[in-house]
Amino acid sequence: MITPSELAELIRRALPDAEVDAVDRTGTRDHYNLRVVSKGFAGMNPLDQHRLVYRALQLALNDGRLHAVEIKTELPATG
Amino acid sequence: MTDELKREIEREIKAHKVLVYGKGTKDAPRCGFTMETIAFFNQFGYPFEVVDVLENIPKREGLTAMTEWPTLPKVFINGTFYGDTDILGPMHERGELKPLLDETFKTPVS
Repeated sequence: MITPSELAELIRRALPDAEVDAVDRTGTRDHYNLRVVSKGFAGMNPLDQHRLVYRALQLALNDGRLHAVEIKTELPATG
Repeated sequence: MTDELKREIEREIKAHKVLVYGKGTKDAPRCGFTMETIAFFNQFGYPFEVVDVLENIPKREGLTAMTEWPTLPKVFINGTFYGDTDILGPMHERGELKPLLDETFKTPVS
């Protein structure tokens, strides 16, 4: 189990400006829908954006706190 | 990854224009995400293959190293890795996936 704020903290280690919305899909705090908004994604294709988020979450995925995530990555809206 | 395993993966990717490495089979998916991916591809009407790697740990690890993508399912279209439905869903919403599949399955005029 992992809390939404712990998830956000892990992601901000890789993307300090990230805005993270974490929605618990199952009520068991180990399957999340994640929306990550960060300037750090600029110039990256979607695959690499997702790889970056997976790498940031690797610890929690490896130690079993997190089982599955659905990821949506975005750049901040401009203007 | 052994050379043999590498060749096996390369052969599978080449043999199927749309290939899903997942958990379970088309008829009996054993993971919600694999099931979602099968439903996703069913909507296009093009053939696709699902290869079950749930219990094949060396192959899963080989695929992860090869794609730098930690999770299943893993989708290949026309030999290129496209991640999973988190990537393909938004592509479809932007109208990019259908043309890619149409192009992939276009039979060359002989």
